[in-house]
Amino acid sequence: MPKQIAIYGKGGIGKSSTASNVAAACADEGYRVTIIGCDPKSDSSITLLQGRRIPTIMDLMREGIDIKEADIVFNGYKGVKCIEIGGPEPGIGCAGRGIIVAISLLKKISRAIEDTDLVIYDVPGDIVCGGFVAPVKKGLVNEAYVLTSGEYMPLYAANNICKGLSRLEMTLNGVICNSRGALNEEKIVSEFAKEVGSQLLAFIPKDVLVQTCERDGYSVIEKAPDSQIAAVYRKLAKSIMGKRDGKIPVPLDDSRLRELTRI
Amino acid sequence: MPVKKEKEPLIMHPRPSSIVAALYTLRDLDTDVVILHGPPGCSFKHARLLEEDGMRVVTTSLDETGFVFGGHDALVEVLEKVIERFNPGRIGIVGTCASMIIGEELHEAVTQVQPDVPVIEVDVHAGYRDNTKGVVMALESALASGIISEAEFERQKALLKEATMVEKRHGAASKEYLEPNRGDLKYKVAGRLLELLKQGKKGLNILNAKKETAFMFADVNLAVAQVAEKLGSGSNIVNMANLDDNVGLPKNRRNAREIKEDLKEKGFEIHHIIGGLDEYPVAGNTADRIIGEKYSDYDFAVISGVPHALPMDNIKNMELFSVTNGPRQVVPLKDMGHTHVVVEIDLHPKTLGVSHIVESEFGATLREMVKDA
Repeated sequence: MPKQIAIYGKGGIGKSSTASNVAAACADEGYRVTIIGCDPKSDSSITLLQGRRIPTIMDLMREGIDIKEADIVFNGYKGVKCIEIGGPEPGIGCAGRGIIVAISLLKKISRAIEDTDLVIYDVPGDIVCGGFVAPVKKGLVNEAYVLTSGEYMPLYAANNICKGLSRLEMTLNGVICNSRGALNEEKIVSEFAKEVGSQLLAFIPKDVLVQTCERDGYSVIEKAPDSQIAAVYRKLAKSIMGKRDGKIPVPLDDSRLRELTRI
Repeated sequence: MPVKKEKEPLIMHPRPSSIVAALYTLRDLDTDVVILHGPPGCSFKHARLLEEDGMRVVTTSLDETGFVFGGHDALVEVLEKVIERFNPGRIGIVGTCASMIIGEELHEAVTQVQPDVPVIEVDVHAGYRDNTKGVVMALESALASGIISEAEFERQKALLKEATMVEKRHGAASKEYLEPNRGDLKYKVAGRLLELLKQGKKGLNILNAKKETAFMFADVNLAVAQVAEKLGSGSNIVNMANLDDNVGLPKNRRNAREIKEDLKEKGFEIHHIIGGLDEYPVAGNTADRIIGEKYSDYDFAVISGVPHALPMDNIKNMELFSVTNGPRQVVPLKDMGHTHVVVEIDLHPKTLGVSHIVESEFGATLREMVKDA
C-alpha cells in the first residue's frame, strides 16, 4: 500500500510549496509520486509542470466532459503524477461536495492513487466540513502532517486541525514549521508539536528562492537543486518517507496556545 | 482531447427517487429495519408504505443543526436504539440528499456501534437521472456484505439496465413532460372486451407486472379468464404470467408463489410462465417470442402491469387492452398503438403488505358487467 499523506495548515501558510517540493524531492529519490491538489487555486502541481496549469476535475465536470484518466492525470517533474480537483465558482455550489464527488470519480477511473509509492493530498486550508476531509474519511489518507509558523493564527489553525484529526481518530505524523520569521519560532513550534503529542519534522527557513522558482513555474528541487533550501526539503522528504508511527493528537486549549506564542 | 458527455434529455415531470428505490430493494432483501439518515420528512410517503410490508423505517431526523454540525452522533444514537428496540436480524442505513451533501460517512457510525448483525449501508442521494441507480447501490452493498451472490447481483444489474431502457423507450422517461391522465373509462373498455369475448374472438391474457403490483394486476387477468369462462369462450383465452418463483430476491419469489396459489385455487391456468416478478423488463420479450411462434393470429390481448415492456412486433395487429397504474403511462401507451388504456389508481399502496390477490377496479367492472351480458 502506498504511503498516503495529507498536508494541512492555515490558508497561505505554504502547503502547496511544501507539497510540491517534497513531491519533487521524493521523485529524485526514485519514488513514484502522485500529488492531488484539493485547493481551488490548483497551485500544487503548477511548479511540477513548468508553470503549466492543468484542467481540474471540477472544471471538466462543469463542462459536462465524460472524464477519462488522461484528461485529469498529468505527468510532471520526473514522472510525478499531478491531479487537481479544483472547485466551483466562488459563491456558488459547495466545494466540500465537490471534493467528495471528485475523489470518488478519481478512484473509479484511475489507479494513480494505488499504483504509486506516495500520494500527497494538498488539502484546503483547514478542516471545515465533511467534504474537505473526504480523503481522510474515505480511507485514502493514512498519515497527516500539519504545517504552521510560530505565529498565533497559523498555530490556532494547526491546533484546530489537531481537533479535527482527533475527532476523526486520525494520527498526526509530524509538524512542519514554515518560518515567517517570528521570534523564537522554532522553539515555539517544536514545543507545540510536543504538547499535541507529535514532533517537529522540519524547520523551513524563509527563503525568497522558493518564490522566485515558483514564479518561473518550478520547484527549488528542479530549478535550484544545490541550494540550501532544496536540502531542507530533501531532508523533510526523507523524514516523511522514513517509517514513523503517528499518534492521534491532543489539541491544546486556547490559553495554553497563547502562552506558547509568548515563549 | 476531452470528450463531452452526451447530454441526457431533461425530464420535467416528477420521477421516482433513487433513495426510495434503495428502500424498496432493502425490503426485497428482507431487511428488518432501515435507518434513513437525513431530515425527518425525507421519503415519508414511501417509508410509511414500506412499513405495510413489515419493514420498519426510522429516521435520524437531521435538522438545521445537524446539517451544519453533522449527524454522526444522531446516527449512532438511532442505530443503538434500533438494535435495542427491534432486535433486527438485518439493518439497512440509507443516505439522503442532505446527509450526502454534507459528507456523512454511514460506515463511521457502524464502526462505532459494532452491531452483531449485517448492516447494509447505501450512500445514496436522489440526484440521479435513473432511480435504478439506488437499486444498484443497495445491491452493491448487499453483495459486499455477502447477503447476495455475485451471480444474483449481475442478474439484477442486467434487469435494471433493461428496466431503465424500457422507461426511456416508451415509459415515464420517454418524454420531457407527460401530462398525468386517468385513461379510458373502465366500463366502456370492459364493454368492448366483453363484446369480443361474446364474438368468440381469440385473446391473449398477459400479466407482466412489477413485483408486488402483481397482487392487483393478476386480478385483472383473473377477471378476464372468469368472464370468458362465463361467456363460454374460456378456451379462446391463453394466459401468460411473469410468476416464476425460482428467481429473484426472497420477497419476489415468495410473492410469485402466493399469487400462483391464489390463481390456482380460483381455477386459473397459466399456460406460459414468462419470467419472474423482477423480470418484467425482459419477460415481455419471452411473451413476444411465444406469441410469434404460436399465437400471432390472435385477435386481441389484455396486458396488465407494465404493458409497454411488451414488444409490438407480434401484437401490432391485435386490439390491445392495457392496464397500468401510471397516470403518466397512458399517453406513451396510446402512442405505441394500445387502443384501450385503463389506469388502476392507487394500485401500489393497496398491494403493499398483502399476501393474496387484491381486487382491481377493472376486474370488478368486468365481473359486474358480465352479469348483465
